[in-house]
This record gives sequence, C-alpha cells and structure tokens, in this order.
Amino acid sequence: MAFRLVTRNLRNRISFKLRSASLLHSHATSFGFKEVREEDKSQMVGKVFSNVASNYDLMNDFMSAGLHRLWKDRLVSKLSPFPGMKHLDVAGGTGDVAFRILESINSIRHRALQDTINDDLREETRIYVCDINQNMLNVGKNRALERGLGEDKSLVWVQGDAETLSFEDNSMDGYSIAFGIRNVTHIEKALTEAYRVLKRGGRFLCLELSHVEIPVFKELYDLYSFSVIPRLGEAVAGDRESYQYLVESIRRFPPQERFASMIVDAGFHKVEYENLVGGVVAIHSGLKI
Amino acid sequence: MYRTVVNRILLSGGGRRLLRQPDLRTVISSSRFSTTTETQTIPNRPLNPPDSSSLSSSSTSFQTPPAAGDVPRHERKNPRAEYEGEQARVLQASLRHVLRLGWSEKAMIAGAKEVGISPSIVGSFPRKEAALVEFFMDDCLQRLIDRIDSGEELQNSTPSQCIYKLVRIRLEMQAPYISKWPQALSIQAHPLNVSTSFKQRAMLVDEIWHAAGDETSDLDWYVKRTVLGGIYSTTEIYMLTDSSPGSFPLPSRA
Repeated sequence: MAFRLVTRNLRNRISFKLRSASLLHSHATSFGFKEVREEDKSQMVGKVFSNVASNYDLMNDFMSAGLHRLWKDRLVSKLSPFPGMKHLDVAGGTGDVAFRILESINSIRHRALQDTINDDLREETRIYVCDINQNMLNVGKNRALERGLGEDKSLVWVQGDAETLSFEDNSMDGYSIAFGIRNVTHIEKALTEAYRVLKRGGRFLCLELSHVEIPVFKELYDLYSFSVIPRLGEAVAGDRESYQYLVESIRRFPPQERFASMIVDAGFHKVEYENLVGGVVAIHSGLKI
Repeated sequence: MYRTVVNRILLSGGGRRLLRQPDLRTVISSSRFSTTTETQTIPNRPLNPPDSSSLSSSSTSFQTPPAAGDVPRHERKNPRAEYEGEQARVLQASLRHVLRLGWSEKAMIAGAKEVGISPSIVGSFPRKEAALVEFFMDDCLQRLIDRIDSGEELQNSTPSQCIYKLVRIRLEMQAPYISKWPQALSIQAHPLNVSTSFKQRAMLVDEIWHAAGDETSDLDWYVKRTVLGGIYSTTEIYMLTDSSPGSFPLPSRA
C-alpha cells in the first residue's frame, strides 16, 4: 500500500508539473503573471480599461516617450489606405489609428488629382472603431469632436468583442488592431474573426508590444518596464495595478515568431513582421487571398 | 529555413539563362526607418521549387509529396504561388490603367478593382509603384525571350543585326506607355529601386547577347554587356523625346 501511495504521489506531482507547464503557455488564462479562470479574464481586462480610459493617451505618451505616435504612423503607412475603403479598427477605443487613417485618406496628397470619382469614393469610406469597453469609445468620440470629425459619417463607433465581431463576412478591406490583441482572451478566435470579416485581398495588421532579444537592451527594457512604468502609472493615473498588469501581459504574450505562426494558422498568407525599436514593438501583417 | 529554400529554387531553375525569380524579391523587404531592424517572413509551408512560369497568372497547383504523417499538407496548393499569382493578376490588370493614371498607386488600385480583389492588396507590395514597373520589365523580358525562342526572324542575321532587331523589338514593347515612361524611369532610378532595376537591365542585356550567339568567357563578357546596356539606355531615353513621324509603330488606339 505504501508503494501505491508513493506512485500516486509521484504521478500527481508529475501531472501537476505538466499542468502548470501547459498553463504557463496558455495565454487565455493569464492575467499578467496571475492565473485566472478564462471566464474572468475579459471582465478583469474590462475593469483595467475602465480605470485607465480617461488617462490612456496621456499615459501612452509618458510610457513610450511619445514614440507610440510614430509606431501608429508606421502602422497606417503600411496599411496604405485608399478612398472608399472599409476598415475595421479593433480595440481602437480612443481612435488614434482611425483618425490617422481618415487623415491619410483626406490628405492633400491624395486629393491632388482632383477627379470627381475619387470624391464620391471618399464619401463611401467607412472606418469602424470597435472596442469592448464603452468608456474607451466615449473618450474616442470626444476626441473626434475636438478634431472636428464629430459630424464625419466616415467614423462609426461600435461596441463589440474581438472574438465575436458583429460584421458580415468579406466586408472589410482592412483590419487593424493596435495594442489590443494582448488583452483578448482567445487570440486564435480573434484571428479567425479577422479572417472572416476581411475581403479577398484584405490585409490584417497588428501592432503590439513584443519581445526584445537584444542582450543588453533587453535588461534595460525589463528594468524600465517593471520599475518605472507601474510607478508612473501610480503618479499620473493613480492606478498602479493596471499598469502592473500591462507590463506583465506583455511578457506573457507569444513572441514574434509564434504569433506569426498563429496568424498563418488562421489562414492568412504572406505573413510578415517588422520589429520596431529592437523588438519593443512589432507590426505583424497578413494577407487574405 | 527560408534561405535554403531560396538556394534550392535557384539551383533547380537550371538552364542556360540567368534565372528569373522576380517574385522572391518582393517577399523579404528591408525596412526604411532607422529605428527598425528587420522584416521577416514566415513561410506557410515548406516550399517546392516552382517552375519558370512563376510569373504567369494561370494557377498551377503544386502537390507537395506526401510525407509520413503529413497528410493535410499535400492537399493544399502551394500558398506562396497563390498569393503571388493574385498579385501578378492585379499588376497585369493595373498595366491597362497606366496610360490614364501613371505608374502609381492609383493605377494599382484601379487594377485591383478590375480583378475583383480588394485594393488593400496594394499595401502588400513592398515598394508599390516600383513593383508595377518591375513587373512590366519582367513581362517584357519574358515576351522577348518568347520571341527569341520562336526565332524565325533571327535565323540568318549577323550578330549585330540580331542585336539591332532585338533591341528594337524590346523598345517597341514600351512604345504604348511612352507618354508615362519618364515616370517609370524616375521610379527605377530611385535609390531604393536602383538595385532591382539594374539587375533587370543586366538580365535583359545578357539575354540579347546570348541570342546573338555570344560565347565569350573573359573580361569581354562584361565589356559587351556594359556597352549594350549603355546603347540600350541611351536609345530608350532618346525615344522619350522622339516625335518624328513614323518613329515607332504605335498601337492603333493610342
């Protein structure tokens, strides 16, 4: 009997190790470095963003020293927006990417060739901003008003979940998700949904904080992330916990190559990624054929 | 992994000609910003060496040989050939809009709409307008090679006559686009695009010399090609300003 007890203990210990190893790789149950139930994750993420919504843009500026603007510019230039485009920006609550796309389409450069066809097409442009959190969308709507885009019918603000989008199949020319896919509970579902709503020839673009591999820079970046950012969050936004979650969730997110293979698995072709600032940020892109 | 596949493709392409694998270049692109490091491509599946019709838009499906325990893969078409085929179709259709819209993104967007694909695909070309120009140059080279292979007119010519005919044939292919050709030249001269356009011209010149029966294998090889390259380019530029009647036969609708 003692022998059976020993083997049972051994089996339990091994299976526990295996289980915890698999948990470590599962993004769906990670909330930063904490382990949570899947059902709870989206709620907890929702709370984080309700807390940070009002100071979101300010904190972005502080944390990235204003670089996030350049990163979003790069994302939009990779997208190459055109008049008449139907674009979906997921988790784009405060509208940064959507405003840039609209401005790119309406820019002087594009309007230089004054043909009436293009003007009509520009009327047809639709940028859908989808976010799971209504507070973020409200902040975005206010910003649109400030920029004078309040009456622009090209911008459509929709509340929704990246894992179950309310848009039709093959309806979007472009899909972008900037700094949002990290917070999705099931990344594969979000990718499948992205594939579903895109038209043939449509592009998927994802801007996300990613993994740094460069030796010395990696240590400096870790130091900055874990020491400076939560304190900054506390000082500026009064919320240390949310920013602790932020930096931890970056570490739990799959690295560039693995995420790219997940995009391939969702059915995209020509999947590429581009590292910015040594890997602090990566832009993944895919094409639906 | 990708590099070994490239080597395999280049080696197996074989034949006496310089290999034409223009589409491979578009897959790996280097980033322009100083803060960025690299762009990497993830191949969908282990690639098979495509045959030399990688330029053509007709779909050829490649069957990967069934490997042990690898069942789902051998039912799929080669995915890289698929998206490259689509890109080639879009570029082919865009050429029809070049006269009206120039060698620009607008022409490519119009081409994509014509083919029924979302114009977002234009964003996936690494150096947009340059991709269109390069596609055209490759297309012309392919047509030239086809003319050479069907070869009746080159039968009884001396080498210099041969070269004259081939250069003329090749430049006449550009004649329909002559009003927008200066734009194409400026795109090709852009620092980002110079290396590709240089390679394409080198291939063209090599092809012409080869058809003329050149078999040198010393320094003369380089000299001949450089000289022909110079002659070709100056003729091309002269063509831009040549407005004498009957200077070159234009298609009737132009």
